[in-house]
Amino acid sequence: MAPLRSLEKDYPLIDADFQGFCASHGILTVEDLLIHDLHALLAKADHLPRPERFRQAVNQVLCIVDGLHRPWLNGIELLRRTSDFNRVLSTGCGGVDSLLNGGLQEGQVTELAGPSSSGKTQFCLLAASTVAAMHLCCVMYLDTGNSFSSKRVAHFVSRVLGTTSEEDNSRSFQQAMSRILCCAVFDIFSMFALLHQLEAKLKSQVRGSVGVVRLLIIDSISSLISPILSGSGSQGRALMISAGALLKKLANEYNIAVAVINHTVGGENGFPKPALGETWKTIPHVRLMLSHDFGSKACHVSILKHISLRLESALFQAPGASTRFVIE
Amino acid sequence: MEVRRWIEGDETAKEMLERVFTQRSSLALPPPLHRIPLRSGDVVEIAGPSPSAKTQILLQAAVSCVLPKEWKGTYYGGLGQTVLYIDLDSKFDVHRLLQMLKHRIVGANGHSSSGCDEEIINMCMKRFFYTCCYDSFELLATLKTLHYRLQRENLALENHGHVIMMDSIGAFHWMDRACTSFVLEGYNRKSISFQNVMVIVVGELRKLLSVHSMVVICTKTANLGNYVDDRNFGKRSAPDNPDSLRDIGNGRRPVFREYMPSIWQSLVTHRIFVQALGDQVAVRKHRDGMVYSLEWSLPCLSFSDKFVVTDAGIALV
Repeated sequence: MAPLRSLEKDYPLIDADFQGFCASHGILTVEDLLIHDLHALLAKADHLPRPERFRQAVNQVLCIVDGLHRPWLNGIELLRRTSDFNRVLSTGCGGVDSLLNGGLQEGQVTELAGPSSSGKTQFCLLAASTVAAMHLCCVMYLDTGNSFSSKRVAHFVSRVLGTTSEEDNSRSFQQAMSRILCCAVFDIFSMFALLHQLEAKLKSQVRGSVGVVRLLIIDSISSLISPILSGSGSQGRALMISAGALLKKLANEYNIAVAVINHTVGGENGFPKPALGETWKTIPHVRLMLSHDFGSKACHVSILKHISLRLESALFQAPGASTRFVIE
Repeated sequence: MEVRRWIEGDETAKEMLERVFTQRSSLALPPPLHRIPLRSGDVVEIAGPSPSAKTQILLQAAVSCVLPKEWKGTYYGGLGQTVLYIDLDSKFDVHRLLQMLKHRIVGANGHSSSGCDEEIINMCMKRFFYTCCYDSFELLATLKTLHYRLQRENLALENHGHVIMMDSIGAFHWMDRACTSFVLEGYNRKSISFQNVMVIVVGELRKLLSVHSMVVICTKTANLGNYVDDRNFGKRSAPDNPDSLRDIGNGRRPVFREYMPSIWQSLVTHRIFVQALGDQVAVRKHRDGMVYSLEWSLPCLSFSDKFVVTDAGIALV
């Protein structure tokens, strides 16, 4: 929200006359200019003493506005940008990896929904350990329900690292464990604060170097959003969509994989459906549904939505594009 | 001298018609948008709940737009236009676009030869422009500066038409609605509300449509309300019910809440509604996957097309 008068120093065309004219029409900042019709404004300025100078000032502001949006890229540049960076992060769970063509995709938001004790947190811990130990990059883990267990993470990490020499093992073990950053958040505003801090950190980190954050896990986003969602008010939904847009921006601009956990609510005919409603459905790129088989240790996961893979069956039945896996 | 020139006119009627038909020709898009040819100045809105393959439809149309009609003796059947893709949902995958383009080229050639293919792929990808917006201000900034950008580029490239594609026009709707309650200091200031943002978006699009030869195709997420049964009035069921989805072909019409302001609705000239069918019979017949149905609601056609999404793009069933 840059007020126009702060631009006067760098752009002398935006002088006091221009600012006064704009202020008389209720325009005090650059954003105000965006929601006004510039051509109508130019027409009104014709009776001013120096309309040509006013036109130049408007052109100057348009140049500033040109810097406010992302640049236009053509197809070749897009391909070059994405082919260098987009990788697939294996989650350590063979079943899910095979379902998702390799694992969690960088640049995409993956949602995992499931009823309670269906293995969601275990899956997150396993994915965090695998990414930290195998891919050698940092993982940011936002924990909302105090369910992060460092003992379990240690068990997974040592399993991924396998049996190498004792000395090597302990050093790489230490490094892998130190790459998982866990933060406890209990409301949506602290989550926003953390995500903005993460954005600032991602802006400054160099691509390709070891130790960059490549995976963000939020367990679970529904416990942050459900309390503020109410039927009539729009504030809750606006916060939810803003959170979703911020996650997509982090994934897209800084090339990280984002995994969010959602719980389920009762749907029609007894089939559980993911919580957070219809409006949330547009946010994740990939949606998975997890369920626990009764009486066995196996978990069952199926795809609800994927932007590039084809959906193989009807939306609500269990079979089709699904697999079983066990987390030891 | 000047008066004489003014009376004589700039061009004859025949010349004018020739110019208009070449510069503002009609677009015939591939299935599933093939039912109605589009002319420049049209605004198409593709609405549907999530997920319903709307982005895939846009990509399919984009591939047809960037391909040339004919090149080095092979007929590709494309439209040779520039595509300007404004992504408000961050759902765009350039590799999927490339995959669809390669399938079309191989299909037209009959075989794949890497040298020729590289050239035409480069040419087509150069005609595709992409930008991403994360909030309404970025969208407004993009649209306001688009006119000048196009003017600059038209001097360099040959004068062909443009297609603007916007993925999910209602993406910032909830965020802007919440901004309405912010109190801005200062007198006479316009608040940042969804209505005000849409007024400017529509104004900029109208200016672009009148100056350049252009078609706008947008997607919109439709939030389903309850279904209204035309036959048994008063019987309703929730949209997530698999039984209700099965009945779409049987006379039940979906009712969804329109959240776009009337100024946007008056800009739209064509409306399409897409949704996924939960029909068991359809799924068994087509192992490719989920079947979607597409209906033109403006102009109203009485039948609906069904399609599936394959590796090559969209195929009608």
